[in-house]
Amino acid sequence: MSDLQLTDWRNHALALESEVNKVVVGQHTPIRLITTSIFARGHVLLEGDVGVGKTTLLRAFTRGIGGGYQRIEGTIDLMPNDLVYHTYLGEDGKPHVSAGPLLMSGENLSVFFFNEINRARPQVHSLLLRVMAERSLSAFNAEHYFPHMIVFADRNQVEKEETFEIPSAARDRFMMEIPIVVPNDDAIMEALVFDTKFHNVDALVDTVKPDVLQFDELNGFSGVIQSNITASDTLKKYALNLWKATKSPLDYGVKVSGVDMNRLVLAGASPRGMSMMLRAARVNAWLNNRTAVLPDDIHAVFHSTIAHRLVFSPVYEMRRTEIAREMLSGIINAVAAP
Amino acid sequence: MTKFNRFLSLILLFCAAPLSALAIDSQDLPDIKEGFVTIKTIDPTQRVGYTVGDVIEREVILTIKAPYTLVETSLPIKGYEKRYRGQVIGIELKNIHHKKDVHKDYTTHHIKLAYQVFTNSVVAKNAALGPEYLNLINMKNNKDLVKYRIPSLDIAISPLAIFGAVKVENNMSPMLGPLLMANTQEKQWLKIALVILAISLLGLLYILGVHTWLPRMGGPFASAYRTLRKTPNSAEGLKQAVSKLHLSFNNTAAMSVFNDNLDTFLAKKPSFSPLKYEIQQFFALSRQVYFEPNATHDIGNNPSKWLVQFARRCRDCERGLTPTPLDTKAGA
Repeated sequence: MSDLQLTDWRNHALALESEVNKVVVGQHTPIRLITTSIFARGHVLLEGDVGVGKTTLLRAFTRGIGGGYQRIEGTIDLMPNDLVYHTYLGEDGKPHVSAGPLLMSGENLSVFFFNEINRARPQVHSLLLRVMAERSLSAFNAEHYFPHMIVFADRNQVEKEETFEIPSAARDRFMMEIPIVVPNDDAIMEALVFDTKFHNVDALVDTVKPDVLQFDELNGFSGVIQSNITASDTLKKYALNLWKATKSPLDYGVKVSGVDMNRLVLAGASPRGMSMMLRAARVNAWLNNRTAVLPDDIHAVFHSTIAHRLVFSPVYEMRRTEIAREMLSGIINAVAAP
Repeated sequence: MTKFNRFLSLILLFCAAPLSALAIDSQDLPDIKEGFVTIKTIDPTQRVGYTVGDVIEREVILTIKAPYTLVETSLPIKGYEKRYRGQVIGIELKNIHHKKDVHKDYTTHHIKLAYQVFTNSVVAKNAALGPEYLNLINMKNNKDLVKYRIPSLDIAISPLAIFGAVKVENNMSPMLGPLLMANTQEKQWLKIALVILAISLLGLLYILGVHTWLPRMGGPFASAYRTLRKTPNSAEGLKQAVSKLHLSFNNTAAMSVFNDNLDTFLAKKPSFSPLKYEIQQFFALSRQVYFEPNATHDIGNNPSKWLVQFARRCRDCERGLTPTPLDTKAGA
């Protein structure tokens, strides 16, 4: 029964990917990673410049999986309560309270997009991180649950003024950090500029086939995937070695050009990070019609699940993205399996 | 004298008669006719510079045709002092070694003569080795007793020290080379040292060649091929074989090679490009062996045998050769 279920869901997942790929072109890898995170039930940090299609991408996915989609912009004066409710004077001249973005869709909230999260204050981060971890919120003397919610947050890596860097403990709550970059294919770039279908985002998103997946069944099915996709002893050992290498890369002969490796890493991947990596790897194996995880599956999600968890010496933080990429590539090249 | 004594004297006279005949001085006998004896001598190259105590050797090879044969008692006697006109000349036969090869029509005699000088002088003087006279007898006619003269060898005997005020240059002879120290032992040590040096150089070459006698002989796949040939054809052996080949790929590329970075590997090592499909088959087998037992591969029912062939083809690529054609029955 579960084999049939796995096949059926995989067909739907691939159909969803196909639908989103029609709308957001040239982003096959991020789309695969987002699909993976949806089925692994992990939150995602999106990294990319302004106007590369992050919102369109998330709206397209939301339309495909159904459920509510909410979005909030991070600003320096944003307060935690702005996520929960807002007050206004009604036509009757009396103050009114209405639900904020978190509460607006109730339990049907499936995608919550926090744009430019690093512009918001740490108090806001705290609230969001609690919601991410517990998928619940206490407000108006009641407990509100968001069992199907996945948080997508975007951070602006270019501008540093009036921003609050997300601490490593907060970054660790995100399953993945996915880079969204402008495609470098000339034909795609030309289409994005001249093809009028990409000018109207609403109309574009409406072309996605709605409810390809059932958002309220994803939690249950995620468990099916995790219990059906196996990991051999060899793979477990391999994953363990990868983990150790993130803590002591020099022990595995990993070097990064222009970096003192003895001082680089303050903390490697966390146990939560490694378990999230393996969750994502299992989903990747399932999407590739495999019954067990291969090193290839780990490679497919290794950068996106581990890079943002590494804690570097402050002197290297400015070059975090390139150093993490080079170091993790070095680890994959250095650690063998079997 | 009694009758008995007279009879005894007569018997002794008869017995002594043949001996006296042989004891005849060889020089008094007639020379043998030409054609019956041929001679060859092996003489020392040094003819001058001998002094008291020196031993000079020469070898005489005589071929005597039938019916004549050598009377061996006429051979020179060891210890005999040579005389010239009754005067001792100071050359003594120190040793003689005689060997003969008898044939039907002739006999060859190898006579090695070693003379020792027992004379000296304040100035250089001439001397000679020989001549030696040998008696030959005709086997068909006992009365035909003849002699053969071994020619003498002229040498010069030098004084031990220069006597008086002598101008050395006037006394130097181009015939006499400088006296050299004996260096036989040093030459032997030199030969031994050269042999050790040669072995050491070979060892150094072996070490510098990463333990190979030929270029790329000890490459990862060459080693894997040797190991795989000895690996048992069992489930455990198959695991070891796959692991060994993974290690070979990693060592060859200096990175971990997986199915998803195979193109990177082939870009680094283009000599393996002809095996791209087989490498993919190998990774499929590895997937089944190590990660996903349910996975399938198209190698066949005898993957161990296939792996040995695959290792050999990889070794060929490693050496820059065209891979050995695959035995299609290997994996069957």
